Parts: sequence; C-alpha cells; structure tokens
Amino acid sequence: MTQKTSPPVSSLSYPILAGLAALALAGCATKPPASDPAAVAAFEETNDRLEPLNRALFQVDQALDTVVFRPVAWTYREVVPDPARRGVTNFLRNLRSPISFANSVLQGDLDRAGQTVGRFVVNTTVGVLGFADVAADLGTPYFYEDFGQTLATWGVGDGSYLYLPVVGPSSIRDGFGLAVDNVAFDPVSWYSYADNPGWVQWAYFGALYTDIKAGTMDVTDELKKSSIDYYAALRSAYRQNRAKEIRNGAPAPLPANGNGDPFAEAPAPGK
Amino acid sequence: MISRRAFSAMTLAASASAVRPAAAQDWKNSPNGLVEKFAQMGISDILGAAISQREKTDRFRVLFKDFFDIPAIGRFVLGRFARAASAEENAKFATLFEDVIVYTWSRRFGEYKGQTLKVKDNAPDGDAGALVNSDIVGNDGQTFAVSWRLRKRETGFRVVDVIVEGVSMAITYRQEYATVIQQNGGMGGLLAQMQKQVDDLKAKVG
Repeated sequence: MTQKTSPPVSSLSYPILAGLAALALAGCATKPPASDPAAVAAFEETNDRLEPLNRALFQVDQALDTVVFRPVAWTYREVVPDPARRGVTNFLRNLRSPISFANSVLQGDLDRAGQTVGRFVVNTTVGVLGFADVAADLGTPYFYEDFGQTLATWGVGDGSYLYLPVVGPSSIRDGFGLAVDNVAFDPVSWYSYADNPGWVQWAYFGALYTDIKAGTMDVTDELKKSSIDYYAALRSAYRQNRAKEIRNGAPAPLPANGNGDPFAEAPAPGK
Repeated sequence: MISRRAFSAMTLAASASAVRPAAAQDWKNSPNGLVEKFAQMGISDILGAAISQREKTDRFRVLFKDFFDIPAIGRFVLGRFARAASAEENAKFATLFEDVIVYTWSRRFGEYKGQTLKVKDNAPDGDAGALVNSDIVGNDGQTFAVSWRLRKRETGFRVVDVIVEGVSMAITYRQEYATVIQQNGGMGGLLAQMQKQVDDLKAKVG
C-alpha cells in the first residue's frame, strides 16, 4: 500500500480558514450608530468588518516580519545579484502560468488566456525554462489572473478586508480564491499530489514569498514611514491596487465625495 | 523634401512664438504640458540642483503650491468629516496637510537617481479636468505607471491627485485619516497625530 504524501499547504489551508472563521465571529468590528452618518459612511467605505481580528493578525505578522521574513528577504537581496533575482521572479511567474490561464478562461477572457499560453511557450523555450521574460520584450507584458479576480468579475464582492499573516493584505473573497488557486491550478500542488516529497512544496512557498517580499519591501517600508496608521494606509493601498488588477489596468472610476466632482473648486467665499 | 505647406506652417509657428511672449506660459493650459513642466522644474531646480536640503524643501513647497490645488485635495481627503469640524480645525488641517506632504516628499529627495518622466497620453476627467498618464523610467529600465488628475482653475490646470500603480494619494490619505478620526479621538486626535508626524519629519529632513 502506498502512503500518499499529503501536500502540506493545501491540507493546511482548510483548518486555517476554518479557524479564522471561528475567530472572526469574536473579532467583528462594531458598526457606528446611525446618528453619526460620517462615521457610518467611512465604515462602509473601509469595509473592514473584522478589524479587531485583522489588527491582531497584523501585529503577529509584523512581529514575524521583523524576526523572520525581513531578515530573509534582506539577506536574499544583499547576497543574490539583481539579474539573478529577476531570473527567479521570471521563473516563478512562468511556473505559475496555469493559474493565470485557468482564471482567464473562467473569466471568459480568451484574449488573456491566449496571451498566457503564448508567453509560456516563448519563455519556457527561448527564455530558458522561464528565467528570461522574452515575451515581455516582444510586447506581451506579464499579468496575473487569480481566482479572487475571477470571483470579482463574476460579481462577488470582497466580503470584508482580511489580513492574513505571511500572505499579507487580502479579503474573504481573495483568501478563498488563494486556497482554490493553490489546490486546483498550481502546478506545484499537482506535483505534490503525485506522490512526491512534501518538502518540494514548502521550498516552493519559501521561494515564492521571499521573492514577493524582496520585491514589495521598499514600497511597504515607504508607506509605513509616511503614514500615521500604517494598518489603515496599507489596507487602502492594497484595495486600490487590487481593484486595478481586477479592472485589468483600465483607468479607475472617479471616487465619490458627496455629489458632483469630488475635486470641485471651493464654493465662493461668503456663500 | 519638405512640402511647401508644411514649411510655411513651420515658419508661421516659429514667428508666432517669437512675437507672442505669452506662449511661454502655454503649458499652464495644456494637461500634458503642465505635468511635463512640473517634472522638469522638479528635476532641474530641486532634485538635481546643488543646494542644501533645507533649500530643496523650501523650493518644493513653492512648486507644490503652484502646481497643486491643495485646498481641493484637503477637502476631498477630509470628506464628510470636514462638515462636522469647526473652522479652526479645518484651517489647522489645511496647514498640517500641506506640511505632511512637503516633508514626506522632501525626505526622499536624496534617493533620486536620474529617473525621468515620460508623458504618454491624457483623457477627459471630471468637470473640465484631465487624467494624464505617464511613466517614471529608472536607469535600470524599470518603469512605474503614474497618472495625474488635473482640474482647470482660473490660472490654468492644477493637480488634484497623483495615482501610482493604481494607488491614489488622495484616496489613501482619505481612508487612513477616516480610520484615525474614528479610532483616535475624532478630529482633535487626527490633528494631534499629524502635528507629531510633521515634527518627526522636520527633525529628520532638517
């Protein structure tokens, strides 16, 4: 009888999500009273129904960041030269092409599905197993489609903001999407299902999150230094960047601020 | 060979700019021109200039006030909370908000490594406004997409928002400050924290 090696993260994501759901019940934010319309409107705009829980998870993540993720990412950036790191980024992106392909199809975006196949073929061959992004130089830049974005294009709202340690800013919808992508569309998960050693997937996740951290560290550091409430600033920036991904880069609609143009000139003095 | 019509058009354009000194100010009424001018002045007079950090900060404040509609940005950032605040609180907010941006940007002048700004195109936006799309190109070839929201005012266009990779400066401040107001003692709490931030930044920037 063969004992199947269980894929570590896939099997872990369910208890984690279930645990989060249980904690969420205890960590709900209180909606401000209806007598304070400005506060109610801000509560709706922020849509962080789990804020007390999220802030606690954020603190945990920041602590882990200080002692583990940051030193690892920092060392990686110091030791490995820039072109090699770019090669790793390209390799991981190319390896994860099935996620973008499956989700482009699910979104009915055959154009992007075709582009994903084209990029994969060119980069795997001419780009030597994906280490060079030749396709981008030829005019098809990298993009990423995931199941959270697919759900969004199907009209599913994000539910609430959700801060996931290690992963970072997310939402109930996007956290669920991440688990689906991991279980269903990630080729490294397929590899693990096929009776291969479990450390491969752990090594892959280690490489993936180190690569992401090394690439985003400067931007998040800057946001941290320039904000009063880093948690709130990061939440806002993540939401906006995520909305841009869902729109596939189309220009953002004008934000609302009461009626009319939100950046209208001041009413004349004395009015 | 240049066609005769093109040639006469060129002569006409050349003579028009020679006899009309006001043409030097035309960038104020052109969305792309305004953004290009802002980048050009920022690079030549501040980022690349051989002057002290303090002088850079002072020059940036002047440039920022000239090119941005700070009161309009402040009103958007405070949003509904502006109506509940007193006149003194709103005035204090306006002063602190300008300082926050001036010192936040000044702190990073030392990181400038010869990046350039390339305006790509623009689209109509809001009431008589424009959204100018540009790329900031670094020496290593890495680019950031930056969009500029402009509004037409009496003196020409003014910037009301800067959007980097989909993240709007105005929306980020608006949502962050709304949280601070709600969780840290209302408008008074926000103003106290902004004051503290300005003091810290001033100490760092010098």
